[in-house]
Amino acid sequence: MTEPERQLAKPSAAFEPRLVAFVCTWCTYAGADLAGTSRFSYAPNVRIIRFPCTGRIDPLLVLKAFEGGADGVLVSGCHPGDCHYTSGNYHARRRWAIVRRLLEFTGIDSRRLYFSWVSAAEGRKFADLINEITAKVRAAGPFEPANPARRRPWT
Amino acid sequence: MNLIAADKLADLAAALAAAGYRVVAPVRDEEGAVHLKVWSAGDAIDTATIPANSAKEFLFPPSEVIGRYALDGRDFTPQEVRADPPRTVLLAVRPCDVAGLAILDAVFNWDYRDALYNARREATTIVALVCPASDAECFCTSVGGAPDSTRGADLVLQSADGGRRFVFSPVTEKGAAILKAAGSTLAEGEARLDPPASVPERFDAAAVAEWLGANFESPLWQEWGLACLGCGACTHVCPTCHCFDLQDEATRREAVRLRNWDSCALALFTAHAGGHNPRPTQTERWRQRVMHKFRYFPERFGIFACTGCGRCGRLCPAAVTMGEACRQIAEAASLLRRSSRSGCEGRKADTP
Amino acid sequence: MDLNQALRTDAAALLSDGRARLVIGYRAGGAGDDAARRTPFFITDPARCDALVYDASCRQNLASYLRKPEVRARSLVAVVAPPPVMRSLVLLAAEAQVTDSLVVVLAVGEGVYHGVLDIAQTAALLREKYADLAIPAEVVREIERIAAMTAEERAAFWTAEFARCTRCYACRAACPLCYCTRCIVEKNVPQWISMAAAGHGNYAWNVIRAFHLAGRCTLCGACEAACPQGIPIMLLNGLAAEEAARAFDARPGYDPAEKPVIGSFKPDDKADFIK
Repeated sequence: MTEPERQLAKPSAAFEPRLVAFVCTWCTYAGADLAGTSRFSYAPNVRIIRFPCTGRIDPLLVLKAFEGGADGVLVSGCHPGDCHYTSGNYHARRRWAIVRRLLEFTGIDSRRLYFSWVSAAEGRKFADLINEITAKVRAAGPFEPANPARRRPWT
Repeated sequence: MNLIAADKLADLAAALAAAGYRVVAPVRDEEGAVHLKVWSAGDAIDTATIPANSAKEFLFPPSEVIGRYALDGRDFTPQEVRADPPRTVLLAVRPCDVAGLAILDAVFNWDYRDALYNARREATTIVALVCPASDAECFCTSVGGAPDSTRGADLVLQSADGGRRFVFSPVTEKGAAILKAAGSTLAEGEARLDPPASVPERFDAAAVAEWLGANFESPLWQEWGLACLGCGACTHVCPTCHCFDLQDEATRREAVRLRNWDSCALALFTAHAGGHNPRPTQTERWRQRVMHKFRYFPERFGIFACTGCGRCGRLCPAAVTMGEACRQIAEAASLLRRSSRSGCEGRKADTP
Repeated sequence: MDLNQALRTDAAALLSDGRARLVIGYRAGGAGDDAARRTPFFITDPARCDALVYDASCRQNLASYLRKPEVRARSLVAVVAPPPVMRSLVLLAAEAQVTDSLVVVLAVGEGVYHGVLDIAQTAALLREKYADLAIPAEVVREIERIAAMTAEERAAFWTAEFARCTRCYACRAACPLCYCTRCIVEKNVPQWISMAAAGHGNYAWNVIRAFHLAGRCTLCGACEAACPQGIPIMLLNGLAAEEAARAFDARPGYDPAEKPVIGSFKPDDKADFIK
């Protein structure tokens, strides 16, 4: 059993993290597909949202996920040089550098927000990545009540 | 007389909080800035500095839920929005802030009686502080107010014995109830009241209102319009500004209708869906602000929609403020009067 | 000739011979006749230039006025520009918002008058004499103090700060770089950012504004000075500026031909945080 599979086999604790993954169609989404067809198990906590390209992923979307109660967010796309639209991921890379620091500075740190390059051929990597992130966010605990971006009940 | 040592106001706040009141007081932060906020133990109360914000946010909050709906697919069920405000004491607010409530009372009970505002109003007891000092931005005496006005207050707090003590004087029954809650933090005794601050009259408001009726196209509006950046800051700190925007926000399961503070200084305020904007530049927007406060509102309600608190003046980086506008208008008005008397052509006032 | 004299002479000359139709500078006084105060001053009559003043108390970033159509309509506009304003103007030129047919620069510094310059000359002056404009030391210190907190402490700190935000948008109005005719926060189809003065909307507004300024903000401080609630906005902008400088060598406002930091890229940009 690999380490990620060992993590998965643990009896589930009371808290199950809710994860959102913003991924690009041509690489990471295809990689997730490959993980499925290859029968690699990965944690069911993640909701995958598919975009044409990481270049289209607005930082506000990441904030929306935390606003809605996500405990962790992954943003993933094609490796540099392999973007289906040539340069979308280069633009994304610049944005992520800034967004990551701003969110970390204001309380959404690297236990909650992850970035990766996963290609269409990397089904194993995708599965392992989701398992790793799920384990880390589970260990970090629920993001309530510390989540500064969370929409609270209207009073 | 009911007396309290000047440095023991926090004890009074604590006693009122223990009696179940939400206490709002001018609190000094680490940088020395003073804001009206909900007091909690450890906050330093500062009555010497005019707070940057006004008391209106405690009766008319920046955002408020006025409608609530449970959603189920395409169906929705309206839910009750009950006005259940906490009993509140506005402790040591200036007379200009208290005077601002008269404008809000008028507007929120005009063609529609706003239950949410009225509930908060009813639940609020006002302790007015007689101003110990004023500054160059204050102009309450030019708009019918005064540093020692007790109009609208339930209790009056006045400095005594050279600032060493405060005297508490109830004005209404609501105020008397506060004295009971204050309990042993107050002591009976005698003290000599300190004189209130003096605020010289800066302009003739009646002359301003008259000039406004006849000078819609004055080039003065253009000059102010150039300098105004169109931020909403003056609107937000003003004790009388009350315009709001309604926004609906929904998730899959519930929706709320929100009433959010809005500002006529913002470009979007009068933007139409078709793209037309009847107040296309800051010139028109600034003109509307002054006209509303000194002409349109008095025409309807008989009072100026400005209490001379000077917050806009302290805040505005471009010094485009009600006080300054009125001063220049009054100057322009008096120049016109003088020149028409002597038969010469009037000279339009320039920015200093 | 001293700074103010030279400035007044040149400003009046620009208006007199039609090289400018409007001068934007600073004057003493303002509401309440407070002689220590400095406020923006708009001049069309050369004779009024005598009231122009420049000194260290002049803080307002006059480049913000160039977003207004009623100001742009008066081109040419002469702007009294200390170094932070100069940088804003050069950056606006890089973003195609101002050109030499709209604006002419009356460049000033601490106790020194640099003359009437066009945008390229202004950028050259900045590179020559003001190349080391750093993030203010107290901003850097405060950023470090907060960065040293735990994530929960940081979240609590900012939640408390943002709780005071009433969404007046003075920060946006004071900023020379916030010139969108329809701001993201004014779009509700779809609703990206809640317009209510509540936790999630206030967080999103302040963080996203800082993000939109990344690699652009020259830390002039106009936003924080304008905030009626005293929210430490410069910390967010300073942090984004630090990262943009560290990761992408961003030096906004020194080159009118510079590429926008977030709008451009290098194939070999470093990003070690990506798995």
